[in-house]
Amino acid sequence: MPVDMNLFRGFVEQIRQLPAMAQPTDMPDPDRVRAAKAVFADKLDARLASHLDACVHCGVCAEACHYYVQSGDPRYTPIHKLEPLMRYWRREKGPFAWLQRLITRDISEQDLEDWQPLVYDSCTECGRCSFACPQGVDIASMVGVMRQALAKAGLIPAGLRAVEQEQGSRGTVFGVGGEQLMEAVEALRARGYEVPVDKEQAEVLVLSSTLDILLFTDALESTVKVMNHLGVDWSIHTCAFEGANFGMLSGYEEVQKAASERIIREAIGCGARVVIIPECGHAYPAMRWDAANEHGEPLPFDVMAISEFLGREVMAGRLKLKSGQRRPVTYHDPCKIGRHGGIFDEPRAVLEALGLEVREMPVHHEMNYCCGGGAGLFLIDSAKKNRDLGFDLKREQVEATGASSLVTACGSCRLNFLAGADRVHWDRGIESLVELVGEAIDGPGGAS
Amino acid sequence: MTVAELVDGPLWTVALTVFVAGVAWRLLVLIATGWKRDLSHPRSGSLGGAIRGVVGRFLPSQGMAGRLRLHLVAGYLFHLGLFALLFFAAPHVDFYRDRLFGFDWTPLPHWAFILAAEAAFLGLLMLWLNRVLNPVTRLISESGDHAASVLTFLVMLTGCLALARSHETLRLLHFFVVELFMIYFPFSRLMHSFTFLLSRAAQGAHYGRRGVRV
Amino acid sequence: MNAYGLLWGLLLALLSTAAQAQNDTPPQSGIWIPNPGADLWKAVRQRGQPEPSTTQVQGLDSNQLINVAGEKFRDWRRERFIRYAAYLLAGVPVVILLFHMLHGAMKLEPSGRKLLRFDLYDRVAHWLLATVFLFLAFTGLLLLFGRFVIVPWLGLDAFSPIASASKEGHNLFGPLFLVALLWVFLRFVARNLPAWRDIVWLLKGGGAFGGKHPSAGFFNGGEKLWFWSLAVFGLLLSLSGLLLDFPSYAPSRELLVLALVVHGAAAVILVAFSFGHIYMGTAGVEGTLEGMRDGTVDANWARQHHDQWYAEMVREGRLEALSEAQENRAETTTGQLEEGRT
Repeated sequence: MPVDMNLFRGFVEQIRQLPAMAQPTDMPDPDRVRAAKAVFADKLDARLASHLDACVHCGVCAEACHYYVQSGDPRYTPIHKLEPLMRYWRREKGPFAWLQRLITRDISEQDLEDWQPLVYDSCTECGRCSFACPQGVDIASMVGVMRQALAKAGLIPAGLRAVEQEQGSRGTVFGVGGEQLMEAVEALRARGYEVPVDKEQAEVLVLSSTLDILLFTDALESTVKVMNHLGVDWSIHTCAFEGANFGMLSGYEEVQKAASERIIREAIGCGARVVIIPECGHAYPAMRWDAANEHGEPLPFDVMAISEFLGREVMAGRLKLKSGQRRPVTYHDPCKIGRHGGIFDEPRAVLEALGLEVREMPVHHEMNYCCGGGAGLFLIDSAKKNRDLGFDLKREQVEATGASSLVTACGSCRLNFLAGADRVHWDRGIESLVELVGEAIDGPGGAS
Repeated sequence: MTVAELVDGPLWTVALTVFVAGVAWRLLVLIATGWKRDLSHPRSGSLGGAIRGVVGRFLPSQGMAGRLRLHLVAGYLFHLGLFALLFFAAPHVDFYRDRLFGFDWTPLPHWAFILAAEAAFLGLLMLWLNRVLNPVTRLISESGDHAASVLTFLVMLTGCLALARSHETLRLLHFFVVELFMIYFPFSRLMHSFTFLLSRAAQGAHYGRRGVRV
Repeated sequence: MNAYGLLWGLLLALLSTAAQAQNDTPPQSGIWIPNPGADLWKAVRQRGQPEPSTTQVQGLDSNQLINVAGEKFRDWRRERFIRYAAYLLAGVPVVILLFHMLHGAMKLEPSGRKLLRFDLYDRVAHWLLATVFLFLAFTGLLLLFGRFVIVPWLGLDAFSPIASASKEGHNLFGPLFLVALLWVFLRFVARNLPAWRDIVWLLKGGGAFGGKHPSAGFFNGGEKLWFWSLAVFGLLLSLSGLLLDFPSYAPSRELLVLALVVHGAAAVILVAFSFGHIYMGTAGVEGTLEGMRDGTVDANWARQHHDQWYAEMVREGRLEALSEAQENRAETTTGQLEEGRT
């Protein structure tokens, strides 16, 4: 079912109010620099160091960046976004630091401020540049480090900071907590769905997200439907249902760790073997890759994105879907799930099982272009121009396939596609993978 | 001591020492920075990823070739040409035998040598022009990048000016510039001739364990 | 823009002087004095010899001890060619300097709005050709004038390695000139097709005689003249150069001599012309270099020098589009920075 555009516009309007809600993060300038450097020192290991050392300033990364490709603005060159980190490495940790200190300028507070729009407003950490780099420099990972440094230096853009602070202090996102989840659950129960909440023991712990509770309610419904349909022993927990991790997006590690730990605790508590991440791009790497390292030991459960879970069920023959009308669609790999997660085949298997004709965009899979609005850019007001640039490029890619619809498995991608479509009155459908699956199985609500 | 004796003797020893020690030191510091152990469950093997990373990066990524025509053509012309000259030019093979290794191998025939030199010069000029004319590289390039380009160019230029092998002055000039190049090498981004292996392997391993082909 | 007209005039004048000089007959002596070595030299020079000499040596003209035509060429080269080449190459800069002192640079009042003129490939191709050209010109002129300039100044011992180096460098860079020339030709030829307005432009000397700026498209008549001169003389230069690079493949000695004559003449003409080109691109006309450096030119520059191209750009909305993009960019920058401080 298409998203209610009035609801969507209201949501966007709410986002515009976020900066006013952010708490100031004042600190003396030297403290900001010190804090940023401490993060650099902590994060630089041989992997990142070899990346910093191998760059030859060839500029190939720019040609891979959707923001540079669209604007031609050289400041969007991905490796340029790491300059303070590069300078820190050379001056203070590199092989000839004693020499570099004579010729390389130290990082100043002004540098940190100047780089804020470069690492937040104009990078979605999509990682396309990393994959284009002939030297194999993983630029996207290091933009993550830049964000962590700026976060510690109190320089998270206000909109993103407001949500990070909310999640850090109250554990809610956009005011959505356990109570709001229960309201959504009750609404589903009223329609005949059985929704297991806070079960003491469950094989599968299902997460949701604020987006799915406020805006993409069909995604939550479809998830419930699929789990029940497959007869999974599952549960959703009111104190740890939020997949979105604004600590990760903003770079504030304490909040990221706290949000992940909450989920880990609950998953271990109910003996879950699998934790399922909703259609929320960054929530996947946050739990799948980062969480164990923050936790300090390997996690005793598997982490799966919902698109991955659905794909595996389909591929194993356990999930049978009613195929509808055969129509051409294209699949947009969310960067955090595809390029950073390795999940490419599963969602496509689901689309095939739905009887859809999957057409690939001119560049796809590992080199798929970002939606333009990921990594928290949707919450940064000043990034609007860039989000639009990203959408315009993506639009060309989708139209080149001739597909009437675009399917994706990330709420954040969906937000930016919807915003772009609303702006240019785009005639292509923007659909969610899990919702399509929900429509293709029977449930109490009927195959909608 | 004459200039000739200096260039042929002590300066060469200094250059060789700085080069070898500098390169070793730089790689050592890189590796000694320490690897962070990744505790997440791997989806796939890191080793395969690392190998794929090192080999796969020789080719442009999907859909990138069109935007990178200049980088690709010039990059390959230069690197292949330089590689051929460095290791297979007849005077160089003689030099390696007499001054370094004590054994030799089959050098390139003269025509191939000329072809390699043409390719290397064409590639280097195009790469350097791109560096100064492309707004992207103009923004991110530093004095060190230009110094490396100019030094490489001078090494190649003095080399081919001495092509007749008839003037000791010209050979010494080439040799002197090579010594400067070797001394500068470990301190500069010329080091990428070694570190590209580390970087590509690190990236390949990182994404390999996530089940992503780089 | 009338420096091109002046240069061309000067060139023609010098060439006709050279032609006249060649018609001068040498003084003759009336009495026949037989030289004791005459017969020997006659034999050496193979004059009046019915059968060609034989030798075991394989190679072009290896059965000849002295090439008489070659001697003549050597005289011509030393006595005439080098002298007139020197006049031309010294004269053109003097004319340009005089012109600049009288006329001054063509001023530009920047509008702040930019038009894209040369994309990255245009610029790389141009500067590649320029770099190779300058290197070849420098080494070529060293080889041409070295005997008369370097030898008296630094001595034979110094000139010997310089000459050897110049020759090796010149030979090696030569083929790159052809590659760069072809690249430039292919990229620029469509914009250099001649039009009637270019003839008008040239007749008016680029505005030097008419006072008003004659009409011009993307390139004006002078630039097109330079382009086609470069194409024709550059090709001659490259082909003759390749022959000289690989003399063992030449079919005959006469052809090699011809190649030397063509190579020298084409080179001197292009070097002289390049002085004009460099002047117009740098000190002569404000705002021109920017186009080849950054790729963009000021809108007023375009209107002033290439009115028809400017009109076309305005019609296509390129001017607006580009300035809007720039404004956006500026806005993004400040917007982002302000946001950062909230």
